[in-house]
Amino acid sequence: MFARLSLAALAIALVSGCSTPSPVLGGKNISYGDSKAVELVTNEFGSTDLQMIAESMTRSLAQSGVLHGRPVVQVYDVKNKTSEYIDTREITTSIKTQLMKSGAARFASDNTDMQSQVDQLKLQNQSGLYKKKTVAKTGNMIAAKYRLEGSISSIVKRSSDYKDVFYKFSLQLIDVESGLAEWMDEKEIRKTTER
Amino acid sequence: MRKTCLALAAVALLAGCATPPPAPGSAASKVVTMGQLDDIEIGQMRVARENGYLTVNVALTNSSRSNQTLFYRFAWLGSDGFPVADEESWKALPLYGKQAKFLPAIAPTPAARDFRLEVHTR
Repeated sequence: MFARLSLAALAIALVSGCSTPSPVLGGKNISYGDSKAVELVTNEFGSTDLQMIAESMTRSLAQSGVLHGRPVVQVYDVKNKTSEYIDTREITTSIKTQLMKSGAARFASDNTDMQSQVDQLKLQNQSGLYKKKTVAKTGNMIAAKYRLEGSISSIVKRSSDYKDVFYKFSLQLIDVESGLAEWMDEKEIRKTTER
Repeated sequence: MRKTCLALAAVALLAGCATPPPAPGSAASKVVTMGQLDDIEIGQMRVARENGYLTVNVALTNSSRSNQTLFYRFAWLGSDGFPVADEESWKALPLYGKQAKFLPAIAPTPAARDFRLEVHTR
């Protein structure tokens, strides 16, 4: 009896000693996927469309040569003219991030960031809470040379056999002083579902 | 003698079957095929530097009569051969039967000196 118990205890000790602890906790049916994969789950606006638009627009703009000397750009929200709900802020955020990473442009506070920027300047200058020499001075914000604005529209057609969605994304860079459009590009995407 | 003949035949067969590695710097050396790439031929590549950015144009041909979809993405490399930007998203390119097409691409940063084209069909 004692010998059997000892053997069992030894076996357990060996097994627990040999097994490598896994860094995974639970989740038999859950897995991480490739965030860069082509998403074809439905033909509504998806992650691949967002990534393709941001990539194509950013590279076209950066390579155009208009953004010479890292000018300051103000980004406006992309107008959603489609019938779908699309978080267009994510498109502008991706474009902004990629342009920033490429070193092609600098960005002024856009309309959503502006209130926080003004609040922070007021707090530093008017509250009397901060050391004078560390306070950010007012009147030194850099104005944008260009504004970047765009829109996305769609045409949806349905029949008994097909659903066809055509997206058109347009983006333009406008010189604030002259009002001239200095660069413009568009990206077209067609997605068709056969029933 | 028979053994020598067999050995020679085996060597000749092996040499015939083995695909020689693509020459460094050639168009073929820039392509990474993931899985099977039947019916789509990757031809010449034009590489240029425009306004400081590396630009690439790749000739593609669908050799079959049926429509094909090519899934692709570029990896942009610096002078040390390592990536200079985040991974690109995969993209789908439809090709009609027997169609020849050009695939243009622009590097995301002026630091890119070289590239790899990853391709896949399903």
